[in-house]
Amino acid sequence: MNIIEIQDLKRIYRAKIGVLRRKVKEVLALDGINFSVSQGELFGLLGPNGAGKTTTVKILTTLLTPTAGRASVLGFDVVRDETKIRPHIGFIFGGERGLYWRLSGYDNLVYFANLYNISPDVQKKRIPELFKLVGLEGRENEKVQGYSRGMKQRLHIARVLLHDPQVLFLDEPTMGLDPVGARELRQAIKNLQLEKKTILLTTHYMFEADAMCERIAVIDHGKIVALDTPTGLKNYVQDLSIVEIEVFGIPHDAVERIQNLDGVDMVSVENRDQKQALRIHSSDGAGAVAPVVSTLQNMGLRVGNVIVREPTLEDAYVRLVGGEV
Amino acid sequence: MMLSRLRVVWTVFYMYLKQIAIDGFIIFTVIIQPLLVALLAIYLLRDSDGFQAIYVIVGSALTGIWSGTLFFNSFNIQSERWSGNLENIIGSPTDLQTVVLGKALANTTISLGSVLFSYPIAALLFRFRLTIAHPFLFIVSLLLTILALMSLGLVIAPIFSLNPGNIMWINAFEFPMYILGGFLFPVLMLPAWTTPISYILSPYWAARALHDTSSGITFLSDVLISWGLIIFLSLTYLFISNWLFRVLLRRAREKATLGLQ
Repeated sequence: MNIIEIQDLKRIYRAKIGVLRRKVKEVLALDGINFSVSQGELFGLLGPNGAGKTTTVKILTTLLTPTAGRASVLGFDVVRDETKIRPHIGFIFGGERGLYWRLSGYDNLVYFANLYNISPDVQKKRIPELFKLVGLEGRENEKVQGYSRGMKQRLHIARVLLHDPQVLFLDEPTMGLDPVGARELRQAIKNLQLEKKTILLTTHYMFEADAMCERIAVIDHGKIVALDTPTGLKNYVQDLSIVEIEVFGIPHDAVERIQNLDGVDMVSVENRDQKQALRIHSSDGAGAVAPVVSTLQNMGLRVGNVIVREPTLEDAYVRLVGGEV
Repeated sequence: MMLSRLRVVWTVFYMYLKQIAIDGFIIFTVIIQPLLVALLAIYLLRDSDGFQAIYVIVGSALTGIWSGTLFFNSFNIQSERWSGNLENIIGSPTDLQTVVLGKALANTTISLGSVLFSYPIAALLFRFRLTIAHPFLFIVSLLLTILALMSLGLVIAPIFSLNPGNIMWINAFEFPMYILGGFLFPVLMLPAWTTPISYILSPYWAARALHDTSSGITFLSDVLISWGLIIFLSLTYLFISNWLFRVLLRRAREKATLGLQ
Protein backbone atom coordinates (compact mmCIF):
# COMPACT_ATOMS: atom_id res chain seq x y z
CA MET A 1 0.00 0.00 0.00
CA ASN A 2 1.31 3.44 -0.92
CA ILE A 3 1.37 5.85 2.00
CA ILE A 4 2.59 8.81 -0.04
CA GLU A 5 1.45 9.45 -3.62
CA ILE A 6 2.54 12.35 -5.78
CA GLN A 7 1.23 12.94 -9.29
CA ASP A 8 2.40 15.70 -11.64
CA LEU A 9 3.09 17.96 -8.69
CA LYS A 10 3.95 21.52 -9.62
CA ARG A 11 4.71 24.51 -7.45
CA ILE A 12 5.45 28.04 -8.61
CA TYR A 13 6.56 30.72 -6.13
CA ARG A 14 5.56 34.27 -6.98
CA ALA A 15 7.32 37.25 -5.45
CA LYS A 16 6.83 40.95 -6.09
CA ILE A 17 10.03 42.83 -6.85
CA GLY A 18 10.82 46.50 -7.39
CA VAL A 19 9.58 49.60 -5.58
CA LEU A 20 7.77 51.81 -8.07
CA ARG A 21 7.26 49.45 -10.96
CA ARG A 22 6.29 46.29 -9.14
CA LYS A 23 6.89 43.14 -11.12
CA VAL A 24 5.95 39.60 -10.28
CA LYS A 25 8.86 37.20 -10.41
CA GLU A 26 8.00 33.54 -10.80
CA VAL A 27 10.20 30.67 -9.69
CA LEU A 28 9.34 27.14 -10.74
CA ALA A 29 10.21 25.06 -7.69
CA LEU A 30 8.55 21.80 -8.71
CA ASP A 31 7.98 20.89 -12.33
CA GLY A 32 5.55 17.98 -12.43
CA ILE A 33 7.15 15.38 -10.17
CA ASN A 34 5.80 11.88 -9.59
CA PHE A 35 6.69 9.27 -6.99
CA SER A 36 5.14 7.10 -4.34
CA VAL A 37 6.34 5.72 -1.01
CA SER A 38 5.05 2.42 0.34
CA GLN A 39 4.27 1.53 3.93
CA GLY A 40 7.33 1.12 6.15
CA GLU A 41 9.69 2.37 3.44
CA LEU A 42 12.59 4.73 4.12
CA PHE A 43 12.60 6.88 1.02
CA GLY A 44 15.31 9.42 0.25
CA LEU A 45 15.04 12.68 -1.62
CA LEU A 46 18.41 13.93 -2.83
CA GLY A 47 19.21 17.12 -4.63
CA PRO A 48 21.25 20.32 -4.58
CA ASN A 49 20.10 23.48 -2.78
CA GLY A 50 16.97 24.91 -4.37
CA ALA A 51 16.17 21.68 -6.20
CA GLY A 52 12.69 21.41 -4.64
CA LYS A 53 13.24 18.97 -1.74
CA THR A 54 11.88 21.19 1.02
CA THR A 55 9.01 22.38 -1.18
CA THR A 56 8.00 18.73 -1.68
CA VAL A 57 8.15 18.06 2.06
CA LYS A 58 6.16 21.20 2.86
CA ILE A 59 3.42 20.21 0.43
CA LEU A 60 3.26 16.70 1.89
CA THR A 61 3.09 18.05 5.43
CA THR A 62 0.11 20.27 4.42
CA LEU A 63 2.03 23.50 5.02
CA LEU A 64 2.01 24.53 1.38
CA THR A 65 -0.48 24.09 -1.43
CA PRO A 66 0.69 22.92 -4.85
CA THR A 67 0.10 25.06 -7.92
CA ALA A 68 -0.96 21.99 -9.91
CA GLY A 69 -1.01 18.23 -9.58
CA ARG A 70 -2.02 16.03 -6.70
CA ALA A 71 -0.42 14.71 -3.53
CA SER A 72 -1.84 12.44 -0.88
CA VAL A 73 -0.64 11.07 2.44
CA LEU A 74 -2.32 8.01 3.97
CA GLY A 75 -4.91 8.28 1.19
CA PHE A 76 -5.91 11.83 2.13
CA ASP A 77 -5.49 14.78 -0.20
CA VAL A 78 -2.95 17.26 1.17
CA VAL A 79 -5.01 20.30 0.11
CA ARG A 80 -8.55 19.28 1.06
CA ASP A 81 -8.00 16.81 3.91
CA GLU A 82 -5.19 18.49 5.83
CA THR A 83 -6.93 18.06 9.19
CA LYS A 84 -7.12 14.28 8.62
CA ILE A 85 -3.42 14.04 7.79
CA ARG A 86 -1.92 16.18 10.57
CA PRO A 87 -2.56 13.88 13.58
CA HIS A 88 -0.74 11.02 11.83
CA ILE A 89 2.41 12.71 10.57
CA GLY A 90 5.48 14.25 12.12
CA PHE A 91 8.06 16.50 10.53
CA ILE A 92 11.41 18.11 11.21
CA PHE A 93 13.00 20.86 9.22
CA GLY A 94 16.74 20.93 9.75
CA GLY A 95 18.30 23.58 11.95
CA GLU A 96 17.89 24.91 15.45
CA ARG A 97 14.62 26.80 15.02
CA GLY A 98 11.19 25.40 15.79
CA LEU A 99 11.59 25.23 19.55
CA TYR A 100 10.85 27.65 22.40
CA TRP A 101 14.30 28.63 23.60
CA ARG A 102 13.15 30.33 26.79
CA LEU A 103 11.41 27.17 27.95
CA SER A 104 13.03 24.00 29.23
CA GLY A 105 13.27 20.94 27.03
CA TYR A 106 10.60 19.30 29.18
CA ASP A 107 8.21 22.27 28.83
CA ASN A 108 8.71 22.22 25.07
CA LEU A 109 7.58 18.62 24.91
CA VAL A 110 4.61 19.26 27.23
CA TYR A 111 3.59 22.15 24.98
CA PHE A 112 3.70 20.11 21.78
CA ALA A 113 2.15 17.06 23.46
CA ASN A 114 -0.88 19.20 24.24
CA LEU A 115 -1.03 20.47 20.66
CA TYR A 116 -1.30 16.79 19.67
CA ASN A 117 -4.04 16.15 22.26
CA ILE A 118 -1.95 13.69 24.25
CA SER A 119 -3.50 13.20 27.67
CA PRO A 120 -1.47 14.26 30.75
CA ASP A 121 -1.26 10.64 31.94
CA VAL A 122 0.34 9.53 28.68
CA GLN A 123 2.60 12.60 28.68
CA LYS A 124 4.00 11.72 32.10
CA LYS A 125 5.08 8.31 30.82
CA ARG A 126 6.03 9.18 27.25
CA ILE A 127 8.11 12.34 27.74
CA PRO A 128 10.74 10.76 30.05
CA GLU A 129 10.94 7.77 27.67
CA LEU A 130 11.66 10.09 24.77
CA PHE A 131 14.31 12.04 26.68
CA LYS A 132 16.00 8.70 27.34
CA LEU A 133 15.64 7.61 23.71
CA VAL A 134 17.30 10.74 22.33
CA GLY A 135 19.99 10.82 25.00
CA LEU A 136 18.87 13.98 26.78
CA GLU A 137 18.08 12.31 30.08
CA GLY A 138 19.12 14.59 32.95
CA ARG A 139 18.95 17.75 30.80
CA GLU A 140 15.15 17.97 30.69
CA ASN A 141 14.81 20.99 32.96
CA GLU A 142 17.47 23.15 31.33
CA LYS A 143 16.36 25.95 29.07
CA VAL A 144 16.66 25.13 25.37
CA GLN A 145 18.74 28.28 24.77
CA GLY A 146 21.55 26.54 26.64
CA TYR A 147 21.37 23.40 24.51
CA SER A 148 24.00 22.70 21.85
CA ARG A 149 22.92 22.41 18.24
CA GLY A 150 23.00 18.63 18.46
CA MET A 151 20.88 18.65 21.62
CA LYS A 152 18.29 20.86 19.93
CA GLN A 153 18.21 18.51 16.98
CA ARG A 154 17.68 15.57 19.33
CA LEU A 155 14.89 17.46 21.08
CA HIS A 156 13.30 17.88 17.66
CA ILE A 157 13.39 14.11 17.22
CA ALA A 158 11.71 13.67 20.62
CA ARG A 159 9.10 16.28 19.67
CA VAL A 160 8.28 14.57 16.42
CA LEU A 161 7.81 11.19 18.12
CA LEU A 162 5.51 12.47 20.88
CA HIS A 163 2.32 11.40 19.13
CA ASP A 164 3.79 8.22 17.63
CA PRO A 165 3.15 9.28 14.01
CA GLN A 166 2.76 6.76 11.19
CA VAL A 167 4.63 8.88 8.67
CA LEU A 168 7.76 10.95 9.28
CA PHE A 169 9.18 13.70 7.12
CA LEU A 170 12.77 14.46 8.03
CA ASP A 171 14.23 17.39 6.10
CA GLU A 172 18.03 17.28 6.51
CA PRO A 173 17.83 16.10 10.13
CA THR A 174 21.58 15.61 10.56
CA MET A 175 22.50 19.03 9.18
CA GLY A 176 25.12 20.67 11.38
CA LEU A 177 25.51 17.74 13.76
CA ASP A 178 28.92 16.47 14.82
CA PRO A 179 29.85 13.02 13.43
CA VAL A 180 28.96 11.17 16.63
CA GLY A 181 25.64 12.98 16.98
CA ALA A 182 24.81 12.38 13.31
CA ARG A 183 25.63 8.68 13.65
CA GLU A 184 23.39 8.36 16.72
CA LEU A 185 20.59 10.15 14.92
CA ARG A 186 20.93 7.89 11.88
CA GLN A 187 20.68 4.89 14.18
CA ALA A 188 17.56 6.37 15.79
CA ILE A 189 16.02 6.80 12.33
CA LYS A 190 16.88 3.20 11.41
CA ASN A 191 15.19 2.06 14.62
CA LEU A 192 12.07 3.95 13.60
CA GLN A 193 12.09 2.09 10.33
CA LEU A 194 12.17 -1.18 12.25
CA GLU A 195 8.94 0.00 13.90
CA LYS A 196 7.44 0.03 10.38
CA LYS A 197 7.18 3.80 10.20
CA THR A 198 7.12 5.30 6.73
CA ILE A 199 9.92 7.84 6.45
CA LEU A 200 10.74 10.42 3.82
CA LEU A 201 14.25 11.73 4.34
CA THR A 202 15.96 14.56 2.52
CA THR A 203 19.68 14.91 2.85
CA HIS A 204 22.81 16.32 1.26
CA TYR A 205 24.94 13.47 2.56
CA MET A 206 25.28 10.70 -0.01
CA PHE A 207 26.66 8.09 2.35
CA GLU A 208 23.70 8.74 4.62
CA ALA A 209 21.22 8.16 1.80
CA ASP A 210 23.22 5.14 0.61
CA ALA A 211 23.32 3.54 4.04
CA MET A 212 19.75 4.24 5.07
CA CYS A 213 17.34 4.58 2.17
CA GLU A 214 15.64 1.74 0.35
CA ARG A 215 14.90 3.95 -2.65
CA ILE A 216 16.14 7.38 -3.60
CA ALA A 217 14.71 10.04 -5.87
CA VAL A 218 17.24 12.53 -7.21
CA ILE A 219 15.62 15.90 -7.78
CA ASP A 220 17.14 18.77 -9.71
CA HIS A 221 15.57 22.04 -10.88
CA GLY A 222 12.18 20.78 -9.72
CA LYS A 223 12.32 17.54 -11.71
CA ILE A 224 13.00 13.97 -10.66
CA VAL A 225 16.04 13.01 -12.72
CA ALA A 226 16.37 9.48 -11.31
CA LEU A 227 14.47 7.21 -8.96
CA ASP A 228 15.95 3.89 -7.95
CA THR A 229 17.53 1.86 -5.15
CA PRO A 230 21.02 3.03 -4.09
CA THR A 231 22.48 0.05 -6.00
CA GLY A 232 20.35 0.90 -9.03
CA LEU A 233 21.55 4.51 -8.95
CA LYS A 234 25.18 3.37 -8.77
CA ASN A 235 24.53 1.35 -11.91
CA TYR A 236 24.06 4.68 -13.73
CA VAL A 237 27.82 5.02 -13.52
CA GLN A 238 28.72 1.32 -13.63
CA ASP A 239 30.48 1.75 -16.99
CA LEU A 240 32.80 4.34 -15.49
CA SER A 241 35.81 4.48 -13.22
CA ILE A 242 36.46 7.46 -11.04
CA VAL A 243 39.87 9.10 -11.14
CA GLU A 244 40.58 11.56 -8.33
CA ILE A 245 43.62 13.79 -8.73
CA GLU A 246 44.81 16.36 -6.21
CA VAL A 247 45.93 19.60 -7.85
CA PHE A 248 47.15 22.88 -6.39
CA GLY A 249 45.56 26.02 -7.88
CA ILE A 250 43.79 24.73 -10.94
CA PRO A 251 42.74 27.34 -13.56
CA HIS A 252 39.32 27.15 -15.23
CA ASP A 253 40.69 26.35 -18.71
CA ALA A 254 42.44 23.23 -17.35
CA VAL A 255 39.04 21.72 -16.58
CA GLU A 256 37.92 22.41 -20.15
CA ARG A 257 41.07 20.84 -21.60
CA ILE A 258 40.68 17.69 -19.52
CA GLN A 259 37.00 17.47 -20.41
CA ASN A 260 38.03 17.28 -24.10
CA LEU A 261 40.44 14.35 -23.59
CA ASP A 262 39.51 10.92 -24.95
CA GLY A 263 37.95 8.63 -22.36
CA VAL A 264 36.90 11.51 -20.08
CA ASP A 265 33.16 11.55 -19.54
CA MET A 266 32.79 14.30 -16.97
CA VAL A 267 34.99 16.48 -14.75
CA SER A 268 34.07 18.15 -11.48
CA VAL A 269 36.23 20.11 -9.05
CA GLU A 270 35.99 19.98 -5.28
CA ASN A 271 37.85 22.47 -3.11
CA ARG A 272 39.81 20.91 -0.25
CA ASP A 273 41.49 23.70 1.77
CA GLN A 274 44.59 24.82 -0.19
CA LYS A 275 44.17 22.23 -2.93
CA GLN A 276 41.51 21.02 -5.31
CA ALA A 277 40.38 17.51 -6.14
CA LEU A 278 39.66 16.83 -9.78
CA ARG A 279 37.04 14.10 -10.01
CA ILE A 280 37.05 12.55 -13.46
CA HIS A 281 34.39 10.12 -14.64
CA SER A 282 36.22 7.96 -17.15
CA SER A 283 35.13 5.09 -19.36
CA ASP A 284 38.81 4.27 -19.85
CA GLY A 285 39.56 3.52 -16.18
CA ALA A 286 43.23 3.82 -15.22
CA GLY A 287 44.03 4.54 -18.87
CA ALA A 288 42.78 8.10 -18.40
CA VAL A 289 45.32 8.87 -15.69
CA ALA A 290 48.40 9.33 -17.88
CA PRO A 291 46.91 11.83 -20.40
CA VAL A 292 45.21 13.84 -17.62
CA VAL A 293 48.36 14.06 -15.45
CA SER A 294 50.42 14.91 -18.49
CA THR A 295 47.99 17.71 -19.45
CA LEU A 296 48.12 19.15 -15.96
CA GLN A 297 51.92 19.01 -15.79
CA ASN A 298 52.20 20.62 -19.22
CA MET A 299 50.20 23.53 -17.78
CA GLY A 300 52.78 23.83 -15.01
CA LEU A 301 50.45 22.56 -12.28
CA ARG A 302 51.66 20.57 -9.30
CA VAL A 303 49.90 17.20 -9.05
CA GLY A 304 49.38 15.43 -5.73
CA ASN A 305 47.77 12.06 -4.94
CA VAL A 306 46.07 10.12 -7.73
CA ILE A 307 43.38 7.54 -6.95
CA VAL A 308 41.40 5.29 -9.29
CA ARG A 309 38.30 3.81 -7.66
CA GLU A 310 34.87 2.28 -8.20
CA PRO A 311 31.97 4.75 -8.51
CA THR A 312 29.89 5.58 -5.44
CA LEU A 313 26.38 6.96 -5.03
CA GLU A 314 27.89 10.44 -4.89
CA ASP A 315 29.44 9.91 -8.33
CA ALA A 316 26.08 8.81 -9.69
CA TYR A 317 24.50 11.87 -8.10
CA VAL A 318 27.14 14.20 -9.55
CA ARG A 319 26.54 12.75 -12.99
CA LEU A 320 22.76 13.13 -12.61
CA VAL A 321 22.75 16.72 -11.41
CA GLY A 322 25.63 17.83 -13.60
CA GLY A 323 28.42 18.59 -11.18
CA GLU A 324 26.47 20.33 -8.41
CA VAL A 325 26.82 18.91 -4.93
CA MET B 1 -12.75 17.60 22.44
CA MET B 2 -13.67 20.71 24.42
CA LEU B 3 -11.54 19.53 27.33
CA SER B 4 -8.45 19.01 25.18
CA ARG B 5 -8.97 22.43 23.59
CA LEU B 6 -9.18 24.03 27.04
CA ARG B 7 -6.02 22.16 28.00
CA VAL B 8 -4.25 23.64 24.96
CA VAL B 9 -5.44 27.16 25.87
CA TRP B 10 -4.20 26.68 29.43
CA THR B 11 -0.84 25.23 28.31
CA VAL B 12 -0.24 28.04 25.83
CA PHE B 13 -1.33 30.62 28.43
CA TYR B 14 0.97 29.22 31.10
CA MET B 15 3.99 28.55 28.87
CA TYR B 16 3.69 31.94 27.17
CA LEU B 17 3.50 33.75 30.52
CA LYS B 18 6.63 31.87 31.55
CA GLN B 19 8.44 33.21 28.51
CA ILE B 20 7.33 36.84 28.58
CA ALA B 21 6.91 37.65 32.27
CA ILE B 22 10.41 39.09 32.60
CA ASP B 23 10.58 40.76 29.20
CA GLY B 24 11.83 44.36 29.49
CA PHE B 25 9.47 45.65 26.81
CA ILE B 26 6.51 44.22 28.68
CA ILE B 27 7.58 45.79 31.95
CA PHE B 28 7.82 49.16 30.19
CA THR B 29 4.48 48.86 28.39
CA VAL B 30 2.52 47.54 31.34
CA ILE B 31 4.06 49.40 34.27
CA ILE B 32 6.23 52.36 33.33
CA GLN B 33 4.27 53.83 30.42
CA PRO B 34 0.88 53.88 32.24
CA LEU B 35 2.59 55.39 35.26
CA LEU B 36 4.04 58.19 33.12
CA VAL B 37 0.59 58.78 31.60
CA ALA B 38 -0.94 58.87 35.09
CA LEU B 39 1.66 61.37 36.34
CA LEU B 40 1.14 63.66 33.36
CA ALA B 41 -2.64 63.49 33.60
CA ILE B 42 -2.65 64.18 37.34
CA TYR B 43 -0.34 67.19 36.99
CA LEU B 44 -2.48 68.55 34.15
CA LEU B 45 -5.89 67.90 35.63
CA ARG B 46 -5.63 67.99 39.41
CA ASP B 47 -6.62 71.66 39.73
CA SER B 48 -9.54 71.38 37.31
CA ASP B 49 -13.20 71.20 38.38
CA GLY B 50 -14.54 67.74 39.08
CA PHE B 51 -11.10 66.12 39.16
CA GLN B 52 -11.28 62.53 40.35
CA ALA B 53 -8.01 60.74 40.97
CA ILE B 54 -9.64 57.35 40.53
CA TYR B 55 -10.80 58.36 37.04
CA VAL B 56 -7.25 59.26 36.00
CA ILE B 57 -5.79 56.10 37.53
CA VAL B 58 -8.32 53.82 35.84
CA GLY B 59 -7.77 55.72 32.60
CA SER B 60 -3.99 55.45 32.70
CA ALA B 61 -4.24 51.75 33.53
CA LEU B 62 -6.46 51.38 30.48
CA THR B 63 -3.74 52.96 28.32
CA GLY B 64 -1.34 50.27 29.53
CA ILE B 65 -3.90 47.53 28.94
CA TRP B 66 -4.59 48.77 25.41
CA SER B 67 -0.89 49.24 24.51
CA GLY B 68 -0.16 45.76 25.79
CA THR B 69 -3.07 44.26 23.88
CA LEU B 70 -2.08 46.05 20.67
CA PHE B 71 1.66 45.40 20.74
CA PHE B 72 1.70 41.86 22.11
CA ASN B 73 -1.13 40.61 19.89
CA SER B 74 0.32 42.22 16.77
CA PHE B 75 3.41 40.07 17.20
CA ASN B 76 1.48 37.00 18.37
CA ILE B 77 1.70 35.09 15.11
CA GLN B 78 4.80 36.84 13.79
CA SER B 79 6.85 35.73 16.79
CA GLU B 80 5.86 32.11 16.11
CA ARG B 81 7.00 32.54 12.51
CA TRP B 82 10.32 34.07 13.57
CA SER B 83 11.01 31.29 16.04
CA GLY B 84 10.19 28.64 13.42
CA ASN B 85 7.25 27.36 15.45
CA LEU B 86 4.41 28.53 13.23
CA GLU B 87 4.84 25.54 10.92
CA ASN B 88 4.92 23.19 13.92
CA ILE B 89 1.65 24.66 15.19
CA ILE B 90 -0.13 24.69 11.82
CA GLY B 91 1.07 21.15 11.13
CA SER B 92 -0.43 19.89 14.40
CA PRO B 93 -4.06 18.86 14.94
CA THR B 94 -4.69 22.02 17.01
CA ASP B 95 -5.96 25.02 15.09
CA LEU B 96 -3.91 28.19 15.19
CA GLN B 97 -6.81 30.19 16.65
CA THR B 98 -6.78 28.09 19.82
CA VAL B 99 -3.06 28.74 20.30
CA VAL B 100 -3.49 32.47 19.65
CA LEU B 101 -6.43 32.52 22.09
CA GLY B 102 -4.12 31.21 24.83
CA LYS B 103 -1.55 33.88 23.97
CA ALA B 104 -4.17 36.65 23.80
CA LEU B 105 -5.44 35.61 27.23
CA ALA B 106 -1.88 35.76 28.58
CA ASN B 107 -1.32 39.14 26.95
CA THR B 108 -4.49 40.57 28.48
CA THR B 109 -3.62 39.12 31.88
CA ILE B 110 -0.16 40.68 31.73
CA SER B 111 -1.67 43.96 30.57
CA LEU B 112 -3.97 43.98 33.58
CA GLY B 113 -0.80 44.38 35.58
CA SER B 114 -1.27 48.06 34.70
CA VAL B 115 -4.23 48.18 37.04
CA LEU B 116 -2.38 46.43 39.83
CA PHE B 117 0.62 48.74 39.63
CA SER B 118 -1.08 52.06 38.80
CA TYR B 119 -3.31 52.09 41.89
CA PRO B 120 -0.80 51.69 44.69
CA ILE B 121 1.99 53.71 43.03
CA ALA B 122 -0.26 56.71 42.28
CA ALA B 123 -1.84 56.51 45.72
CA LEU B 124 1.59 56.53 47.31
CA LEU B 125 2.99 59.35 45.17
CA PHE B 126 0.06 61.75 45.45
CA ARG B 127 -1.34 60.62 48.77
CA PHE B 128 -4.77 60.21 47.21
CA ARG B 129 -7.28 58.04 48.94
CA LEU B 130 -8.32 55.73 46.13
CA THR B 131 -11.62 54.05 46.77
CA ILE B 132 -13.61 52.01 44.32
CA ALA B 133 -17.24 53.00 44.57
CA HIS B 134 -18.70 49.58 43.65
CA PRO B 135 -16.05 46.88 44.13
CA PHE B 136 -18.20 43.95 43.01
CA LEU B 137 -19.42 45.70 39.86
CA PHE B 138 -15.85 46.85 39.21
CA ILE B 139 -14.52 43.28 39.32
CA VAL B 140 -17.23 42.11 36.90
CA SER B 141 -16.30 45.03 34.63
CA LEU B 142 -12.66 44.04 34.85
CA LEU B 143 -13.48 40.45 33.83
CA LEU B 144 -15.53 41.75 30.90
CA THR B 145 -12.59 44.00 29.98
CA ILE B 146 -10.48 40.85 29.67
CA LEU B 147 -13.11 39.41 27.32
CA ALA B 148 -13.27 42.65 25.32
CA LEU B 149 -9.53 42.95 24.83
CA MET B 150 -8.91 39.26 24.29
CA SER B 151 -11.47 39.14 21.48
CA LEU B 152 -10.02 42.33 20.01
CA GLY B 153 -6.58 40.73 20.28
CA LEU B 154 -7.87 37.82 18.21
CA VAL B 155 -8.77 40.29 15.46
CA ILE B 156 -5.49 42.19 15.71
CA ALA B 157 -3.28 39.07 15.49
CA PRO B 158 -4.38 37.84 12.03
CA ILE B 159 -4.61 41.39 10.61
CA PHE B 160 -0.97 42.07 11.38
CA SER B 161 0.04 38.65 10.09
CA LEU B 162 -1.83 38.75 6.78
CA ASN B 163 0.73 41.21 5.57
CA PRO B 164 3.91 41.48 7.70
CA GLY B 165 4.36 45.03 6.36
CA ASN B 166 1.31 46.08 8.42
CA ILE B 167 3.49 45.96 11.54
CA MET B 168 4.78 49.47 10.84
CA TRP B 169 1.26 50.84 11.51
CA ILE B 170 1.12 49.56 15.09
CA ASN B 171 2.03 52.87 16.69
CA ALA B 172 -0.61 54.66 14.62
CA PHE B 173 -3.27 52.61 16.43
CA GLU B 174 -2.02 53.25 19.95
CA PHE B 175 -2.93 56.84 20.75
CA PRO B 176 -6.24 57.09 18.85
CA MET B 177 -7.67 54.42 21.14
CA TYR B 178 -6.64 56.42 24.23
CA ILE B 179 -8.82 59.23 22.89
CA LEU B 180 -11.66 57.37 21.14
CA GLY B 181 -11.87 54.88 24.02
CA GLY B 182 -12.50 57.68 26.51
CA PHE B 183 -9.72 56.43 28.76
CA LEU B 184 -8.64 59.76 30.27
CA PHE B 185 -11.53 62.07 29.45
CA PRO B 186 -15.13 61.56 28.25
CA VAL B 187 -15.66 61.18 24.50
CA LEU B 188 -18.34 63.90 24.76
CA MET B 189 -15.45 66.35 24.56
CA LEU B 190 -14.65 65.08 21.04
CA PRO B 191 -16.35 66.14 17.77
CA ALA B 192 -19.72 64.44 17.34
CA TRP B 193 -18.64 62.53 14.22
CA THR B 194 -16.15 60.48 16.26
CA THR B 195 -18.82 59.11 18.63
CA PRO B 196 -20.01 56.26 16.31
CA ILE B 197 -16.40 55.11 16.04
CA SER B 198 -16.11 54.92 19.82
CA TYR B 199 -19.36 52.96 20.00
CA ILE B 200 -18.03 50.08 17.87
CA LEU B 201 -14.88 49.76 19.99
CA SER B 202 -15.23 47.35 22.90
CA PRO B 203 -12.46 49.14 24.91
CA TYR B 204 -14.71 52.22 24.97
CA TRP B 205 -17.49 50.27 26.72
CA ALA B 206 -14.94 48.60 28.97
CA ALA B 207 -13.57 52.02 29.93
CA ARG B 208 -17.10 53.29 30.60
CA ALA B 209 -17.92 50.30 32.79
CA LEU B 210 -14.65 50.61 34.73
CA HIS B 211 -14.99 54.39 35.16
CA ASP B 212 -18.63 54.15 36.24
CA THR B 213 -18.05 51.37 38.74
CA SER B 214 -14.93 52.94 40.23
CA SER B 215 -16.04 56.60 40.32
CA GLY B 216 -19.67 56.00 41.24
CA ILE B 217 -22.82 55.45 39.20
CA THR B 218 -26.18 57.15 39.10
CA PHE B 219 -28.01 54.33 37.32
CA LEU B 220 -27.15 50.63 37.33
CA SER B 221 -28.72 50.42 33.87
CA ASP B 222 -25.77 52.44 32.47
CA VAL B 223 -23.35 49.74 33.62
CA LEU B 224 -25.60 46.97 32.36
CA ILE B 225 -25.72 48.60 28.92
CA SER B 226 -21.91 48.79 28.88
CA TRP B 227 -21.63 45.14 29.88
CA GLY B 228 -24.17 44.07 27.24
CA LEU B 229 -22.33 45.96 24.53
CA ILE B 230 -18.97 44.53 25.61
CA ILE B 231 -20.41 41.02 25.22
CA PHE B 232 -22.10 41.82 21.90
CA LEU B 233 -19.00 43.47 20.40
CA SER B 234 -16.72 40.71 21.70
CA LEU B 235 -18.86 38.06 20.00
CA THR B 236 -18.80 40.13 16.80
CA TYR B 237 -15.01 40.39 17.02
CA LEU B 238 -14.72 36.62 17.53
CA PHE B 239 -16.84 36.08 14.43
CA ILE B 240 -14.64 38.44 12.39
CA SER B 241 -11.52 36.83 13.85
CA ASN B 242 -12.71 33.38 12.79
CA TRP B 243 -13.07 34.58 9.21
CA LEU B 244 -9.70 36.36 9.29
CA PHE B 245 -7.94 33.21 10.52
CA ARG B 246 -9.45 31.17 7.68
CA VAL B 247 -8.24 33.76 5.15
CA LEU B 248 -4.82 33.92 6.82
CA LEU B 249 -4.28 30.17 6.73
CA ARG B 250 -5.48 29.77 3.16
CA ARG B 251 -3.22 32.60 1.97
CA ALA B 252 -0.24 31.44 4.00
CA ARG B 253 -0.41 27.97 2.42
CA GLU B 254 -0.77 29.49 -1.03
CA LYS B 255 1.93 32.12 -0.66
CA ALA B 256 4.35 30.04 1.40
CA THR B 257 4.53 32.53 4.26
CA LEU B 258 4.30 30.12 7.20
CA GLY B 259 8.05 29.85 7.56
CA LEU B 260 10.85 32.27 6.96
CA GLN B 261 12.39 31.77 3.54
